[in-house]
Amino acid sequence: MDAKLKETILNPIFKGNPITVLVLGICSSLAVTVTLKGALVMALSVIVVTGISSLILSLLRNTIPGRVRIIVQLVVVAMMVILVDQILKSFEATYAIDKQLSVYIGLIITHCIVMGRIEAFALGNKPWPSFLDGVANGVGYGLILIIVAFFRELLGSGTLFGFDILNRFGYVPNNLVILPPFALILLGCIVWVQRSIQKDLQEK
Amino acid sequence: MNTNNNVYTVIYTTVIVVVVAALLAFVSQSLKSKQDANEKAETISQMLTAAQYGTKADLDKLSNVAKLDKYAQEIDKAFIINLSGEKLGDLPLDKVYGSKDLKRQNYNIKGGANKTAEPEIPVFIFKNGRTVVPIYGAGLWGPIWGYLSFEQDACTIGGAYFDHESETAGLGAKIKDDPSFQASFVGEKANFADANVFDIVKGGAPKDAEGKSLIDNKIDAITGATMTSQGLDAAIDTWLAAYAKYFIGAAPAAEKNPCQCASCPCEECPCDCHCTPGQDGCHCPGCECPECSGNMKHVEE
Amino acid sequence: MEYLSLFVKSIFVDNMIFAYFLGMCSFLAVSKSVKTAAGLGVAVIAVLLITLPVNYLLNTYVLAPDALIKGVDLSFLSFIVFIAVIAAIVQIVEMLVEKFSPELYSALGIFLPLIAVNCAILGGSLFMQQKDFLNIGEATVYALGSGIGWFLAIVSLAAIREKMSYSNVPAALKGLGITFITVGLMGIAFMTFMGISL
Repeated sequence: MDAKLKETILNPIFKGNPITVLVLGICSSLAVTVTLKGALVMALSVIVVTGISSLILSLLRNTIPGRVRIIVQLVVVAMMVILVDQILKSFEATYAIDKQLSVYIGLIITHCIVMGRIEAFALGNKPWPSFLDGVANGVGYGLILIIVAFFRELLGSGTLFGFDILNRFGYVPNNLVILPPFALILLGCIVWVQRSIQKDLQEK
Repeated sequence: MNTNNNVYTVIYTTVIVVVVAALLAFVSQSLKSKQDANEKAETISQMLTAAQYGTKADLDKLSNVAKLDKYAQEIDKAFIINLSGEKLGDLPLDKVYGSKDLKRQNYNIKGGANKTAEPEIPVFIFKNGRTVVPIYGAGLWGPIWGYLSFEQDACTIGGAYFDHESETAGLGAKIKDDPSFQASFVGEKANFADANVFDIVKGGAPKDAEGKSLIDNKIDAITGATMTSQGLDAAIDTWLAAYAKYFIGAAPAAEKNPCQCASCPCEECPCDCHCTPGQDGCHCPGCECPECSGNMKHVEE
Repeated sequence: MEYLSLFVKSIFVDNMIFAYFLGMCSFLAVSKSVKTAAGLGVAVIAVLLITLPVNYLLNTYVLAPDALIKGVDLSFLSFIVFIAVIAAIVQIVEMLVEKFSPELYSALGIFLPLIAVNCAILGGSLFMQQKDFLNIGEATVYALGSGIGWFLAIVSLAAIREKMSYSNVPAALKGLGITFITVGLMGIAFMTFMGISL
């Protein structure tokens, strides 16, 4: 694997993380990080959607008229998400998964990361690197999501993945942690830690 | 190729839109029957949960076919009624009311521009004596709905199950995920005489030492999920008010409307009961006192 | 009176940013100076004001069950139709801004096309569908209110950030980090409006 491709994969996970550096996908990270399970489901769906939609739009990139590119992008992304939703909903085995996922369908379609990566990368690159870029950004996003969800579920409900961790020791769950503003404060702290390590990201 | 050409742009957009719409329409039509079957089985397991035929988790272990069988075996009567509580006709065995049917009836109950017909609302009576009725309304992000079961006295709640489309995980989603919230409905009484049939209150209804709500038709809201709780409260009030005439009529004659006296404000005492102010509260039937207010005890005459 | 209460409610009580946390990406990235923030705020108001009534009409007369042809339910298309309408209108706004204010256009950068995926805009349409507005007037008032609420939020954050550039913030927290925390605190403050009924 050549160095550029490697850079494409590794960059979004830490140095160019979509949430903490590019500031994309904040809305959903507030909504789904109350429980670890929700964060995990959302992270996986975003990885799949960014990967495949980057691939499709990169294949179409030379045919899309510049002026209507946003409509085309959104229609393709929305179509894909709805298709996956419809198919999962039709089988008895996957119906339960779809019930979990359907909550996030709207959020995934309007996900800034999906659109941001298509605009910034997939429209100017070949399909394979675009696919990798999409997946890597999904992973970088998922990583932050899981860190935030870990603290919010642990402190807000005293559980992890629904299993009691702190409550048995007489911990009283802190409801402030469940409220969306706390996710922002937590994200601020994550940025703080990241930029203390990576000094070149610091803003003047 | 000049992709910025006007004609090209228009044709390209049209083709994309038509292809996508056709694809989606095709997929949604061809998969519809399977999706409906899944939804129906889910609705049935929710109703069985409300009627206390087991926990939702246990019922979900059954296959779709097994759920339908259990329903066919346990259902006693299913019919639709109108807002006056009059029976309009029986429901066939394969007809249940899922969220889409409820949405339509919700428009009809609330009236306004979206009303398409007179409301026809379902009543499901199971062989264990519990009557299951649905509720439907708006949560914070999307629709919420659910099923409440009533004991044979036609006012004590026997069980509840709620579902939602997109409430916040860990907060509003607790109406579905938190069995203890659903359990807090059990044993409460709906006040069918009042427009405010049931209350989900923030900050807490007065409770006894065991944490059970003391006031018959009030339970605690979910902490941190104010909007979802308010939505659920409104949904329950709207729908139970629609069923009020049916349940008042269905109450056994021997204990004529015990629930309505338990908390009726006297001025609008709807149950033809007599009220005397003072310690012993409200006497049924017959009601005459203008100033005694709220939460009176029922005393047999 | 109905309209007035809906209007005030959609600005403060149902504030898109602080009550629902919608449209955060562009909210955080384009709030460095009051001037660009106000520009984006106006663009959001404009887009909401056009898309919401259009989507309301489509939802009522085309997508709702039995609306177009008896027995046909097109509501499975609502997501894609709303999004296409929003994207088309954003594209038009983008072209207008590029033509009349190149300065603003370069300042907004990638975030202008991203208004299309601004959760606040789609959220507006989805809330509209859910709130069952009785007529197009209500939908328009709601759009105006939500837009102004968003505008108010982004301009006040930008003002705080302008002031903050004079304070002594730890180096690693400067910029994005402290902004996250500021928005969190503003959000807590706005929670006081929650549950107020008008």
